[in-house]
Amino acid sequence: MKIRYAGLIAGWVLAGLVQHGVADFGPLVTTEWVAERTDDPSVRLIEVSVEPGVYETGHIPGAVNVSWHTDLVDNPARDIVNRENFEALASRLGITPDTYVVLYGDPNNWFAAWGAWIFKLYGHERVALLDGGRKKWNAERRPLSTVPPTVRRTQYTVTTVNEDLRAFLPDVVKAAKGEANYGLLDIRSPDEFRGRIIAPPGVQELAVRAGHVPGAVNVPWVEAVNPDTGEFRSKEELQAIYAEQGVDGSKPVIVYCRIGERSAHTWYALTQILGYEAKQYDGSWTEYGNAVGVPIENPSQTIWTGQ
Amino acid sequence: MTDIPATPPAPSPPPRWRPLRWSIALCLLAGLVGAGFYLHGHDDYGRAGSWALLSGAVFGYLLQRSRFCFFCNLADWFTERKASGVLALLAALAVGMLGYTVIYGAWVPYPDAGFLPPRAHIAPVGWHLVVGGLAFGLGMALSGSCLSAHFYRLGEGSVRSPLALLGAIGGFILGFRAWPFFYMQAMADSPVIWLPESWGYTGALLLQASVLAVLALVIWLRAKPEPARPPTPRTLTGILRAVFVERWPGVVGGVSVGALATAVYLRATPLGVTAEWGRLARLAGSRFGWISDTLPGLDSLRGCNPVEAANIFSPNALFVIGLVSAAAIGGLVAGQFQPRKYGPLHLILALIGGVLLGFGSLISLGCTIGTLLSGVHALAVSGWLFGAAMVAGVYVGVQLMIRIE
Repeated sequence: MKIRYAGLIAGWVLAGLVQHGVADFGPLVTTEWVAERTDDPSVRLIEVSVEPGVYETGHIPGAVNVSWHTDLVDNPARDIVNRENFEALASRLGITPDTYVVLYGDPNNWFAAWGAWIFKLYGHERVALLDGGRKKWNAERRPLSTVPPTVRRTQYTVTTVNEDLRAFLPDVVKAAKGEANYGLLDIRSPDEFRGRIIAPPGVQELAVRAGHVPGAVNVPWVEAVNPDTGEFRSKEELQAIYAEQGVDGSKPVIVYCRIGERSAHTWYALTQILGYEAKQYDGSWTEYGNAVGVPIENPSQTIWTGQ
Repeated sequence: MTDIPATPPAPSPPPRWRPLRWSIALCLLAGLVGAGFYLHGHDDYGRAGSWALLSGAVFGYLLQRSRFCFFCNLADWFTERKASGVLALLAALAVGMLGYTVIYGAWVPYPDAGFLPPRAHIAPVGWHLVVGGLAFGLGMALSGSCLSAHFYRLGEGSVRSPLALLGAIGGFILGFRAWPFFYMQAMADSPVIWLPESWGYTGALLLQASVLAVLALVIWLRAKPEPARPPTPRTLTGILRAVFVERWPGVVGGVSVGALATAVYLRATPLGVTAEWGRLARLAGSRFGWISDTLPGLDSLRGCNPVEAANIFSPNALFVIGLVSAAAIGGLVAGQFQPRKYGPLHLILALIGGVLLGFGSLISLGCTIGTLLSGVHALAVSGWLFGAAMVAGVYVGVQLMIRIE
């Protein structure tokens, strides 16, 4: 009987330690990991969904909502949220420099990955994605909540800004002209890459030129995920997929897409899962394809006619 | 046997101007409103703190005005075959059960997926609930109320309630000492049964509704007719008296408690009144070395768990403060603040009853509110088992009290 008690108490203490968020924290956490920590004050779960209003209809219990088009950008200028507003946001979300920040969102964590990139850029160390995001949570038919949690406000201060995680137009032009030792990775669809179309049908944000940045290789973002679960593929599979296009970590790479958000998803796979050096170019094709006087490769020769 | 005469009340005394009572009631009201605003703007408490205080106040007012007291209503049934109070309890169970299911639809779309709804009071179904329920029921009979009613009766100037609540602290400490035994023998390996998991929402609702309907029918058929309430005069004074002075019809209280339980579950945690009292007992017990610091499994179970609080006032403490204050307002305005004299025997019984209440609610992780009401609302078998044992305990206790008296 005594042994049974001792084992029970030991197990309980151990469970208590694990509950405090330190174990198994990596660039990706599982749905089980999150389910066990919905009330853990050292973990802040953040939903960043592409579609507004999804959070309100039901979110993972304990998750706070962050809107990508207001909270994470610097309106009215086209830029990411500035340092001051990021500090205000993190304070409002009750985050301290020691908080384990876990992001998730709708289709395949696109904007959650973009949020993760911004947290990394502003020097927050402990950042993870819930692997599979909403898609996997819902597929496992787990409970949701409609009540935003009450979080205690903090005073968050950014101490380092990792500007090297971000590429600007001049960096991309240098890489395109071969003046910088950077690879270029275009994660849009093959049709966009080859210039057959300027943008997928129905999207508003256009460029006036088709094609891609000279020297770029094409690995569509979707290659990185398992389509059934929305989870990232295994490290080995990811290595092979990117190595096939010459992205193997031997030199730093600049990742871009159309508006600069989905590319954060691939940026996350390259830097956080594979440990490669990569910059995310958030200007992406809607900046590059509209810029005057930059070199462009357009295999399909599609011409913009204003139609 | 109870502090307050059963419904319908004797014709209430003509309204009298009682400046002291009214001033105290106004001060309490101003205090509640002010504290609500203050908490809302406070970094440590915020919306949740304000909500806890004010929802507690609404609960306390409802309990006081409609005499929503599990023991009094059950005792009225056992001793006088009065149906209205027990029917009010059944109405509260039915309304809350429907409300919870509406919320479940949004939160747990797939009840068969193997996940329990967040925070709902769904506990292991073991014989500890029988022991806890019997002890609690007996404690209700000896002390005159359950814990939630003792809280609201503090506001009516009850002399027995402070003694019962003091006894409950002792009962909690006994419960903490016995916890490892009950956990190992009764809880650890018992199944947690949430009806929708195997029956679906429709099946679970139909099952519970059928049981409630049968109970209501049996009670209705076997009840003695109660005198009809005199109609409310269609004057302003008549309406004011009906709202602020006369007891509300029991069923109004029952339906309102069911609706409030739904709102409180949606915004915070299921209704419960013992968590904070248990926490205080745990603090006291640990301080004097009466309780082990490690209580296996306590934090892993769902109910009114006495857990560490981050702030000076836990949400449950604010809820109970709101409850007691608003019940006091209700009692003072209605002229029901009536301390009664009791002989030493009743005072000792109140203390002993309190010990049983504390012990029973710790072993069952809740009382009539947290385990019975919030458990049945949650479509949990644990709520029913505790409830059945508790009713049996009340029955035995009522017979015992008749002999004693």
